[in-house]
Formats: sequence, C-alpha cells, structure tokens
Amino acid sequence: MIVRTTELTKRYGGFCALDGCSLDVRAGEIFGLLGPNGAGKTTLLRLLLGYLAPTSGTATVAGFDCATESLEVRGRTAYLPGEARLFRRMDGHAVIAFFADLRRECRRDGAVRVADRLGLDCSRQVARMSTGMRQKLALAVVLATEVPLVILDEPTANLDPTARSAVLDLVREARAAGRTVIFSSHVLSEVEETCDRVAILRGGRVVHGQSIEELRRGHRIYAQLADAFPGVPAEFAGRLTATAVADGRIVMETDEPLAPLLGWLATLALAEIRVEPVGLQAVYDRFHPPAARSA
Amino acid sequence: MSFGDPGRDGAARTTARDGFSHGAVWSAAVWRKTWGDQRLLVLALAALWAAFPWLYLWLSAQIAMPAFQNVLLQVIPEDWQKLSGVPFSEVATYAGRVALAFVDPVVVLTATVWGITRGSDAVSGQLERGTMEMVLAAPIRRTAVFATQALATTAAAALLVVVLLASVWSAVALGPWAGKVEPWRFVPAAANVFGLMVCMGGIAACVSAVDSHRWRTVGIMCGFYVAAILAKLVGRLSGMLGWVGYLSVLNAYEPQRLVGGGPEAWRLLAWYDGVLLGIGLAAYVVGAVIFSRRDLPAPL
Repeated sequence: MIVRTTELTKRYGGFCALDGCSLDVRAGEIFGLLGPNGAGKTTLLRLLLGYLAPTSGTATVAGFDCATESLEVRGRTAYLPGEARLFRRMDGHAVIAFFADLRRECRRDGAVRVADRLGLDCSRQVARMSTGMRQKLALAVVLATEVPLVILDEPTANLDPTARSAVLDLVREARAAGRTVIFSSHVLSEVEETCDRVAILRGGRVVHGQSIEELRRGHRIYAQLADAFPGVPAEFAGRLTATAVADGRIVMETDEPLAPLLGWLATLALAEIRVEPVGLQAVYDRFHPPAARSA
Repeated sequence: MSFGDPGRDGAARTTARDGFSHGAVWSAAVWRKTWGDQRLLVLALAALWAAFPWLYLWLSAQIAMPAFQNVLLQVIPEDWQKLSGVPFSEVATYAGRVALAFVDPVVVLTATVWGITRGSDAVSGQLERGTMEMVLAAPIRRTAVFATQALATTAAAALLVVVLLASVWSAVALGPWAGKVEPWRFVPAAANVFGLMVCMGGIAACVSAVDSHRWRTVGIMCGFYVAAILAKLVGRLSGMLGWVGYLSVLNAYEPQRLVGGGPEAWRLLAWYDGVLLGIGLAAYVVGAVIFSRRDLPAPL
C-alpha cells in the first residue's frame, strides 16, 4: 500500500472534519475520492500532505508518517489543490521555472509538454489567465513532477471538455508509468471512467469503498410481471436483492455476473424487462440521496 | 524514472543534488521569488530615499541657521524638548538639522510600512492568496520558506538603507551645507533605520505566521505601531509614567541622538540596534516555530 490511513480524525473544536477514516490505496492505481462539499475529502488530502496535524489516528505515504515525516512524504508526492492559485505577476514559463527550481522532481520540459497538450499559452501572465488556464498551468506543473504519488483535488474543475478529456488521458498515462493517483472529484462519470477504486465519504466518514471492476459487474433489473413474483431462488440468495414496487413491478439488483441470472429470469412471466448497469451514480445516491442533497 | 519501489523500504530517500536539498534551511527558488515580489516596492522606496535627503536639505537650507536657532531656542517652550529626545541646542546645529531627516515621517513611516508590508506577506499574505499551497507541496521545510523570505527582506532593507545613507552622504557633502558637517556622522543614524526595518519586519512576520488574513495582520501591526508611538510619547511627557516608554520598541529608534560623532554615538547605536535587531530576530524565530507547527487551512 502506498497510502494507508488508520482511524484518521481531524477535529476543529466541536466540529469533526474527518472522523476515523481508514483506507488503503494500492501502488499503481487510480483511487477516486467522492463526496459532497464538506464530506472531508480535502481535509483528508491536507492531512496526507502534513498541512494539518491529525487529532488522532495515523496516515502514511510509502511507509512515512504524514505528520512526523512530512518532508519524506512530500518528496514522493505531487499535489494539485482544489483551487490552484499561482503567482499572478509571473507568466506561465516563469511559474514552471519556479517549480522546477524548487524541486528537482519537477521537469521543466515535461511541464511545457503537458501545457502544450492542454492547449495552454505559457507566455501569458498568470494575472491575465482565466481560471481554467490557471488550472491547466497548475496541472502541467503537477503532472510533470516525477514522483510515485500524485494527488489531484478536483483536477477537471473549470476545464473545457477537450482539456478535461486530455487531463483524464494524462492521469491514465501516469498510472501506466507506474504512478499512483488519488483523484478527488464531483464528476461521477469521469471517476467511473478513470479510477480503479473509489471511496465515498459522508460527514467525515468513509461510508463505502468499491472497485470500479466490481461496480461494472453490478446491474439493476426492472421487471413488470404478469403473475405474482415467486421470490428469489435459493441459489441466488444473498447475491440478488429484489424489491417489489407496485402493480407487479419488481426492481432487482446484483453485483454478480449477469449470465447465470438470465436463465431464471426467462422462467418468469415477464410483461416487460429492462437491464441497466448500476453505475457509480446509483451507488453514490445510496449514500447521498438526491432528496438529501437538494434539502 | 521508476515508481515501483518508492517507499521507506526502497531506500529512495532524497539527497542533495545540484543545489536541491530536501529539508535544507534555504531555498534559492524562494529567494528569487521573494526578490521578484518585493522588486517594485524596493525600487519605489529606493527612489524615494535617494531623492528625499536632497530635497530635505535643500528645503532646510531655505531657512538660515540663525533664524532656525532663534525659533527653536527662543520661541518653542523648553518643555517641548522632551519630545525631541535631544536638547534643542543639539538640534540647532547643522548635524542636528540633517538628523531630523531620519525622524521625518517620510523615513520613519516608509521604514515601518516596509516592515509591515513585507512581514505580513510572509505567511498570512500567501495563505490568503492561496499561493502557499503548491509551494509547501514540495519537499521543503516551512522554516526554510520562512527563513529565506526573512533573509531576502532583510537584505533588501539593508540595500535601501545603503541608498538612504549614500543619498544623505552625497547631499551633506555636495549640497547647500557642504563642508559644514562631516557626512560619516550619519552612519549610526542610518543603521538605526535598518534596525527599525528589521524589527517591524520581524514582528509583522511573527503576527503573519499566526494569522491567515493579511488585512488582519496589517491591522494588528498598525495598532501595534500606534500603541508604540503613544507609549513613547507618554513615557517622554509624563514623569510618573516614564516607564511606559520602555514598553515601546520606538524607544530604541533615536537617530537624532546618534549624530554627535565619537564613541558615544556608536555605544548608543549598539544599544538601540541591539534592542531592535534582537526583537526583530526573536520575532522571526518565534514566527518560524509557529509557522512550522500550525495547521494550514485551505484558502478561502
């Protein structure tokens, strides 16, 4: 495990920003962090970087304690803050030169290449750049830093669709190069598309963890039955949940391969059937229901 | 580069190379950036301090010495001497009149503004702007960032004082009072200005290290400066509350007392600048310790 947190907690007086967070991130994977604003994602990332001292619990990166060996941790980490703010008086080239001077892992030529791929004009002064351009510049610096762990806090926020797609490609290339990426985002589709595993946070707690491969196996089956529902056969018990809605309508959900189920479904008196992948949105909605989000 | 074995067991600990040293107490990149940040302020103050002594001496020379002495020694009540810090008889000399330039608001306020401006930017300014985030994501000690900025600010203060001294020197040597007073007499006074800049910069940096909003740091420092002025005045004017003056750092800023020449001026300078530089340095050290231990909130 390149990142391991154990019962990591951060309190500010009576407010608990992160509550007993335990999670592992494997080397070489893209790990997604999901949750609404205030769920504790950024607090977790700041604890990893040693910006905050934990109230209790521990966090390690590559075996180094994030609170007491922060220098070693940051030597192996590149971090893109949620809202990257750079030096307004400098132009893009000067910003890249600054970070290349600041740490040897940041490659100036690599940053220029990433900036080119993102369509950024580095000769422009930061003060005259749009929010999206500044985000691209920060991404160029972070993704050109050759370290084992890359932490990206909402990397595609403020980006146009083309740049967004380029960033996701760059993230996948980082993984292909053997790097680990922790990826915090509100855009579920891009997390589902890019990440290997995800953790969902709610109120400072990790409430769910799942691999995307597992998620892709999950399906939801909407069926309209002409007869009464006979119940879930014993052979699928525990692997298939069925909920009767009304008027012979049944909603079934499974995380298992679909093929063995199809034979049994064919024996039912089906008036109508629709099979959909569960998708990250549905999983997310279990922990953050739309009604609660809009409330 | 391989990322396969990045951890403690992989012994991939970073080492110094080509000027990079994780955990060093100095960062050349931060040094250059700080000079870039303060460049305009340095240039503006250098221009002001290069021009001011010439202008001041030219204006002063418009009032002939006998007339000036007459006003100072005959018209102004003797009690007001308490405010000047030196006897009026000393002020009513060429050296005394030049020395007034060092207590003129143009010098005192700009020296103070310099300290507050640069010091307040050290931590709270950069936290507020959000630019500290990505700097501290690099493997660099917070104390190295703080110390490098402090050194760049102090070096710039020294440069500005050299400009001020060079201007005073040339104005005295070549201006309207050429030959009437020795220019080297003003070296201790200029050194006292440097002490004030370091002191105010250090205290402002210390407050900045605790704070997360620059405007609040600046507000606190303005309050501190006003309190220091009031304490100095109360100490000067009230016999019973004379001790209050010792609570003010400005009690150690007395350039007008340092132009007499001789060993006494240097002895006084050692005392005054010892206090000012000592407070400034102590404030920088306390600020560095606070900054290295505090939580860094996300920028708003």
